[in-house]
Amino acid sequence: MTTAPVMTVDAAVVAELEAIMNEPGSVLTGVSSRANRARVPAPFPLHRWAEHMPAVVVLPRTAEQVSEIIKLANRVKIPVVPRAGGTGLNDGAVPLRGGIMIDVKRMNQIHEIDLADRTVTVGPGINMLKLNEELKKYGVFYPDTPASYPCSLVGGRIACSGWSLLGSRFGHTRDLVVSFEIVLPTGEIIRVGDGGGKKVRKSSTGYHLKQLFMGHQGTLGIVTEATLELVPRPEAEFAAFFAFDDFGNAHRTVYGIVTSGIATLAGTVLFDEKKIEYLRRDDEAFIPMPPWVNSIVATALYGTKPEVREASKLLMDLGRKEGGRYTGDEMAVGDWASRHDRYANPLHGRLKDGTVAPMSWHCEDASLNWTVIPKVREEWTAIADRYIDKYGIFDNWGIYCYTNAAYKPWGDYLAEIDIGIWEEKLDDESWAGWVDFKSEIAKVSLKYGGSITACHGSTRAGDAELVPEEMGGGWDVMLKIKRTLDPNNIMNPGKQMLDQAYES
Amino acid sequence: MTQVTRNENHTPTAFHANIIAMDKDLLDIEDVADDYVHCTQCGACEIRCPNTLFVGDFYQARTETVKVVRAARALMVDKGLDRDGWKLWNRLTKDLKNEPVLGTGNGQPNGQDHVRDWAEGLQIPIGGELIMFVDCEAAFYRTSNTRATAQVLQKAGVEFGLMNEQWCCGGPAAEMGYVEQSRAFAEHNLADWRASGVKRVIAIEPHDYIHFTEDYPAYFGVDFDIEVVQIIELVAELIKNGRLKLERPINKTVTYHDPCRLNKRKGIHEAPRFILNSIPGLIFKDVDHVTQWSYCSGGGGGLPIEKPEITEAISDVRVARAKELDVDMLVSACVWSERPLATAGHKAGIEVADIIELVAESAGIEVGGRRGASDLEAAR
Repeated sequence: MTTAPVMTVDAAVVAELEAIMNEPGSVLTGVSSRANRARVPAPFPLHRWAEHMPAVVVLPRTAEQVSEIIKLANRVKIPVVPRAGGTGLNDGAVPLRGGIMIDVKRMNQIHEIDLADRTVTVGPGINMLKLNEELKKYGVFYPDTPASYPCSLVGGRIACSGWSLLGSRFGHTRDLVVSFEIVLPTGEIIRVGDGGGKKVRKSSTGYHLKQLFMGHQGTLGIVTEATLELVPRPEAEFAAFFAFDDFGNAHRTVYGIVTSGIATLAGTVLFDEKKIEYLRRDDEAFIPMPPWVNSIVATALYGTKPEVREASKLLMDLGRKEGGRYTGDEMAVGDWASRHDRYANPLHGRLKDGTVAPMSWHCEDASLNWTVIPKVREEWTAIADRYIDKYGIFDNWGIYCYTNAAYKPWGDYLAEIDIGIWEEKLDDESWAGWVDFKSEIAKVSLKYGGSITACHGSTRAGDAELVPEEMGGGWDVMLKIKRTLDPNNIMNPGKQMLDQAYES
Repeated sequence: MTQVTRNENHTPTAFHANIIAMDKDLLDIEDVADDYVHCTQCGACEIRCPNTLFVGDFYQARTETVKVVRAARALMVDKGLDRDGWKLWNRLTKDLKNEPVLGTGNGQPNGQDHVRDWAEGLQIPIGGELIMFVDCEAAFYRTSNTRATAQVLQKAGVEFGLMNEQWCCGGPAAEMGYVEQSRAFAEHNLADWRASGVKRVIAIEPHDYIHFTEDYPAYFGVDFDIEVVQIIELVAELIKNGRLKLERPINKTVTYHDPCRLNKRKGIHEAPRFILNSIPGLIFKDVDHVTQWSYCSGGGGGLPIEKPEITEAISDVRVARAKELDVDMLVSACVWSERPLATAGHKAGIEVADIIELVAESAGIEVGGRRGASDLEAAR
């Protein structure tokens, strides 16, 4: 059985795609259309750009079109790569073997707003900010708010099993998507939920297929419609930032806050010393902090006015209990309000001697328990120092730890170390160095009982080889599922070592 | 743009990535020439890109996507890859000394012989220390805007003149990539101002304001010693200090369109809101200026010349948002936005006006002149 389907898309295939689409400008073969869908904001081997280009790009509007395209791809054994916003921090939407790229941005309609049963049904190409602009007039919102809130799309959120900044209060993507329609790798269109009902949140019928297809990174199909949770718009918001001169105290403060029983707590964010150093150094929007500050705990509450008013008093006590100092209303209001605009992409970093260099941002994420964060932080920082010394193209932009569990703020954390990379300097040697760097970071997460990714996915070299280790006995089950659902290995081939499913 | 086309080729990420791809010999400018037409130079992506993870630079400190687009278009001109519509438009502008805003066919009252037709009967002198620079669209197409502005200034006792030999500001040429032509027009205008002793220039239109405050200083460096006054800020000041009295009520419900070049590129959003709140009788349903970062009329950057169907789609979206607010009128402060918005407004049954036209009405001025597409809706 083939593990590497052919990459060629000939004129006959393009003609068939055009017949399926029947719309001018919806089948793109030009080099600019293909080159601009080869990458995402994750570090990209610029020196090997051409290898990642799709052969053709299709912009469908319906599930039936997606289904027909996939059936065609199966017949001629051409890879299919789905792409939503193309804003992911891993390689889900990056073609590894050319083929047909199905770009779902034109499937951005709101199909139904059901205020009675509290759902909204949308196409996968809609963005959360745009969706919430529409929902606002009904007094409801869809609380899936990652850092990429203004630009990522619902389809990509499902494919990556996204994480939300307000997840500890309202849930993450997998909790907020009630059900969805997906085109399988063989072209059938099915709907998956907890059971069968489109708007049912809890069921005991059958297997829970929704979770199987959540976070599949485009390897098990393409989502063409999703039914999402509607949440009442919170009446009150309260954000507070506390500054510390000791990371241990900040770390303990997080524990105190998340175990306090405050039900309106939407999340906490812990900034480490390297993060503060970086923000001071290179983020002109960062509010100046006194020199003794080396870590910060950020928090936010959402709820009704009486709930938030009372909880805010408790939160202010808890934030200061271990020596934390409230950083003031300016930071509380301003920094929290700009959470989707900040820390996104500073476009420059520093070499070891302090020289400014153009760098792009990479966020290496993991899921870690609270207890192991201090040790992991030490080891990650030491790894970063070594690679910075060796290659001269990296910069350490520090660590954030965000509450990671759904509907409860305790237990585990999305921990990320942000690395600046001078991408234009990448060559085969330094790219290999970067892959090793990633791999070392991921191995630390596994060593401490964590997961190598909380929300970005583990599709790329450096992470991908470790997926079997993390999954353990479950890896064989994954391979069986992959081979059964995608007999010709056409769906996003080459990701996550899933080629092993076809090695007989 | 991408809100309408849903095509990743038209994102700021692509506009930047193309440069690197060209450097790596993966692409040629010819491959991306049509992509670079898909930009209104509104500046939204420079403060917070609504489409990609590209950047969140709301301090406008470091991102210059508009310059990238303009440089790519200049490269297109150099290589003879400029689009036919832009080629014709700029050739006619070079011949006429003004943009052919009334049409590129023969027989339109465009050009130097007609550049002051709009001012008939207003007795505005030529020259002086302070002049009002009249944008081509305002001089030939929506003359109500221009007449309202001149008369509001007269009523407030502002002494001003008109330019001696009023050419196009050169900005549209710069936006479409015709760098030399833009510079030649700028040189003419500056020489003309100097010859008649001009010290201050009132920009009545946001595109001109950008060119005078960004391109002219780039062309002339420290030699550019002309003070540029933005009309909306000036009128707000005249109202604040009592020189302009708005006493005639306008009993309409309106919302305001933040012109991209004022709001996103220059941070001017308070003055127009102050003005609208100063007009008696007016019910002003505001949409905050940050929400409007993702709004646009589609009228900028030469887009309506090359891709009128996209301009139309962008304006339709903008007008639909106004319509949801249940207002009678959408008020703008950019004459270039007013043609596409009024055309979309006519379809949707909503009137479009310029903010200074409303000021004039409330100050009791009979404006006169033509309102372009807005006349259609008013006549309904």
